[in-house]
Formats: sequence, structure tokens, C-alpha cells
Amino acid sequence: MSAGNGPQFAEIAVLSANDERVRMKARWHLVLVPSLLLSLFLLLSSQIAFLRGSFFKDLRLGRLGTELTAENYIRFFTDSLYLDSLLLTIRLSATVALVTLLIGYPVAYILARMRSRWSLVLLAAIIAASFITIVIKVLGLIIIFSSGGVLNRFLLAVGFVERPVTIMGSPAGVVVGLMHFTMGFAVLLLYSVIRTIPRSLEEAAEIHGAPRWRVFLRVVVPLSLPGIVVTALIVFNLCMGAFTSAALIGGGKVFTLPVLIQQTVIMQTRYAMGATVSAVLMAVTLLINLLSVVLLAKFDRRKGAVA
Amino acid sequence: MNAGGALASLRRVASAAWIVGVFVFLFAPLVVVVGASFDGGERTFLNFPPRELSWRWYGRISPDLFHSLGLSVLLGLATACIACLVGVPAALGLVRAQFRGKALVAAAFRAPLQVPAVVIGVSFLKLFYLVGDVTGIYLVGTLPGLIVAHSFLATPYVIGSVSAVLQRFNSRLEEAALSLGASRWRTFTRVTLPVIMPGVYAGAMYAFLVSFGDVPVALFLGAGSMQPFAAKIFHLMEFDFDPTLLAISTFIIVGSMAAIWLLQRAVGLEELARSSGGN
Repeated sequence: MSAGNGPQFAEIAVLSANDERVRMKARWHLVLVPSLLLSLFLLLSSQIAFLRGSFFKDLRLGRLGTELTAENYIRFFTDSLYLDSLLLTIRLSATVALVTLLIGYPVAYILARMRSRWSLVLLAAIIAASFITIVIKVLGLIIIFSSGGVLNRFLLAVGFVERPVTIMGSPAGVVVGLMHFTMGFAVLLLYSVIRTIPRSLEEAAEIHGAPRWRVFLRVVVPLSLPGIVVTALIVFNLCMGAFTSAALIGGGKVFTLPVLIQQTVIMQTRYAMGATVSAVLMAVTLLINLLSVVLLAKFDRRKGAVA
Repeated sequence: MNAGGALASLRRVASAAWIVGVFVFLFAPLVVVVGASFDGGERTFLNFPPRELSWRWYGRISPDLFHSLGLSVLLGLATACIACLVGVPAALGLVRAQFRGKALVAAAFRAPLQVPAVVIGVSFLKLFYLVGDVTGIYLVGTLPGLIVAHSFLATPYVIGSVSAVLQRFNSRLEEAALSLGASRWRTFTRVTLPVIMPGVYAGAMYAFLVSFGDVPVALFLGAGSMQPFAAKIFHLMEFDFDPTLLAISTFIIVGSMAAIWLLQRAVGLEELARSSGGN
């Protein structure tokens, strides 16, 4: 029952696109209307119900003042607690995006160019690993990094470190935790991007005498640049909103914005401030995305002008 | 060409080492959880590799944990069903219809992926309070409330995987059915639906796993006995380290792997790789 059948399928698709006599002429745009209305209703009603609170005075316990005010936003941008948290979140997310790409890209490339079915098995294993709940992985990380654990006994024995290393309560630990959850997505996305680059381009460059690493850097990487940027942004966005690993590994010491939102709402019952932090988090994430897309477009145009 | 051959084998070794390294990184925590769950020592911290093998912790898993595990499975199944009911028509419309503003509609369907899960959790909490004030039906701390929020969270995954299959759909199949006199509805149920089923299975699976793994939404919307498994473990980990958590986590790891393996048997590796996170 498999749908896609390689090249012959593409030919047939082209042929049948011109054949108007027998098509599934359903009103497909009407088919999606109920789903769209439902999704939009849930999205808008929940976001409006929550975020509008950011414009009212916070009276705690979920109560809001009645007058519109920008007080919460002013507080966000003048209080170092919130600003530091914002900067920390951006820094951590950017670090994870960079490291995930540096480690994940070669993996995706090797798997995409592997000539055996093993590549798919390995890919499926990566998917399986990244969909297992982060809570369980953190349990494992705690054991690995425990002071009497394998890793520390080894490091101490080798003399690599003087005291047991731990990742609990440190930003580095949060980066490791986040990478466990972004690596699968990144490899998968990059794999599908690299698969669209014809192998023949690499072979052509090699025939002309370019060494493999040069082919990789000058042909493969530039051709997949848009895919790399998209992947980096997706990983970045996932990290900006990531809660569980930051909360568990950060252990009340690494306050990223999502952790701060949960604390503000649940511990302090300050919904208005929680809404403000949420609004800023989403606005900043969106802004960084737009900025990267604009920069990439500019970069592309300049490169086009040179070529 | 001797140097070239040496270089090629060096490259092969380096590639293999890189892959092995990443797999060790990804799987070490899981292997450690499974291994340590069999450790027999009477300590607050367990050891990996285990010093003496024992099933002890498996016998001590509290009924409470099994209860929340059952709740999570039920919640995940319901979420998968609803996400498919909403997501499959959405994918059909998005891939097949041509209309203005399609990019905008697609973005609207993807929106739940852009909103941080914590924010989804709080805003549904707020929404449910409002709905409760108006209708008298309070959804906070109830299974239906969790199902609504998780379906919202998981629907984009179904849309993504079904769209991936639809884009490669061979429309000749439908044309053949139509030209042989089948009605449009019959063509849809007998031709279109069976062909896109792999995408639906994959999407349902991802929806289930997203629901099962969610902590932040459940932290806000689950309460008391309505605490799904991942959120329950999250709370327990905040207080203390309990070895029985490793034992029950082993079930989850084995279960998740088995589920992905079954899915792979049903839809094929290619489909599995293509349709995940493919939006």
C-alpha cells in the first residue's frame, strides 16, 4: 500500500496534472473548514484569555485590576530578574542550536549518503530516542552524573577532574538535556534536506580533483544552507519554549523564561506577570526568527549579485 | 592510489565513530535507566552497571504510579483519535485545495508548535476557568480538559505526517476508480484513505507520544488523581529520588521502542522517517 514509487510516480503525476476529465473534484477547501475553525477558536480564545491579563495590574491570586496599564511590561524591562532570564534563555537556545547543528549535520550527511538500508534503521532509532519522554532521560542523566556514578568514577580515576562533575543545576547541564530532545528533530530535518542534493554534484566536484572535505564544505553545505537555517531556527524555537529539562536539570538554579512563567503563575499566582513574561517570550522568539529570515534573504541576494 | 585508499578507510572509520558517539549520547540515559532498575542495592542512589541483579524495585511500584500510567495511556489514545479526526481533513484541504491565503491557513494550523507548551498550559487553564464561569462546566483537573489541550498540542503532528503522504499521492489511482464508475465517496474510502493510512498511523503515533511525554500542560491542567504519568514523575523527582521510578520507566522505554517498531512494521521505515516532524 505504499504511495510513492520513485521516478515513474513523478512522470505520472505530470501526465495526470493535464488530464481534467477524471479528477477527485471535491471541494477540498471546505473539508478543512471545521478543523480550521476549531483550531483557531482554541488558539485565539486561550491566548486572548491569558495574554490580555498582561495589560492589567496584578492583584495576585489570579485577580486583575480593571484599568489598562503597561506596568507589567515596564517591570519586565526594568527588573534584572526578568531581563537576565530573557538573555539566559536566548543564550542557552542559541548554544543548543549551534551545538546540535555541528553534531547533527555530519550525522545527517553520513546517513543520507549511506548506501545500505541501515541508514533508515539508524534514523528510526534516532526518532524513537527523541520521542521518549524527557523526564525518563533526565532520570538517566542524573544517574550518569551522580557523584558515585560510572562517569565520575572514570573521570576521577583517569585524573581528568579533581571533584565529581555534575550537570544538575548548571546551564551546561540544561544544554545537554535540551540536546537530547532537539537532536532527533535536527538530524531528521537535515537528512531530508541533504537527500534532495543530487549525489552527482559531489561526484562531479570530486572528478575535478577536489578533496572530499572540500566538496563537503564548498558543495554540500552551501546547497543545504536554507535547510540549515530552518533547522537552526526550529531547534532555537523548541529551546526557547522548553520547560521540562530546564526545570528538572536546572533544579531551581537555571531560570529560563518558561521555568519563570510556571513559577510566576503556580507559586506566586501572579497571572498578569506570567502573561507578560509569556508575551515577551513569544514576541522575542518571533522577532529573532523574522530577523534571521531577513538576514538570510539579504545574504542570498548579495551572493547572487556576486555570482 | 594507496594513499587514497588509506584516506577513504580513515574517513569511513571517522564517520562510524561520529555516528557511534551520537548514539551513545542519545541512548546512554535510557540504557542507564533500564540497567539501574535491576540494581539490588538498598541505597537512595542506584548504580549502573548494577552490582547485584534484582527485581525488587519492580515489585514495589506503587499502585498510584500504575494508575497515572493507565490515565496517560487513555489520554494518549483519546488525543491520537481526536488529533486524527481534526488533522486528516486539515491535511487533505491544505494539500489539495487551491485558495488564496493558504500559507496563512497553514501557519494557523502550525501555530500550536510555536506557542511554548508552558504558555499553552496556562492559557488553557485560564480559558477553562472562563468557560466554567459561563457554563458551569469546569474542565480543570478533568480528563476531557486534558484531552482538549493535548489534542490542540498534537494535531500539527498529524497534519504534518498526513500532508507528507498526500504530497506524494498518485492521483492516477483515484482517476482509475472514478473512470471505472466508482462514486467520489467510494473512491475516497476505498482508494484515498487506504493509501494515506501510513501517514495517519504515523501521525496518530506521534500524537500519542506527544501527549504521553507532555509535562508542562499537564502541570497546569491535571490535579489530584488526574495527574498523567510524565507530570507525576516530574513531581516525584522534584522531591526525592525513588528507585521504583526507574522500574516503571523501563516499562515506558520498552513500550515506546516496541510501539515505534510496530509502526515501522506497519508503514515501513521510509514512511516513518519521512513523516515525522515533517512540517
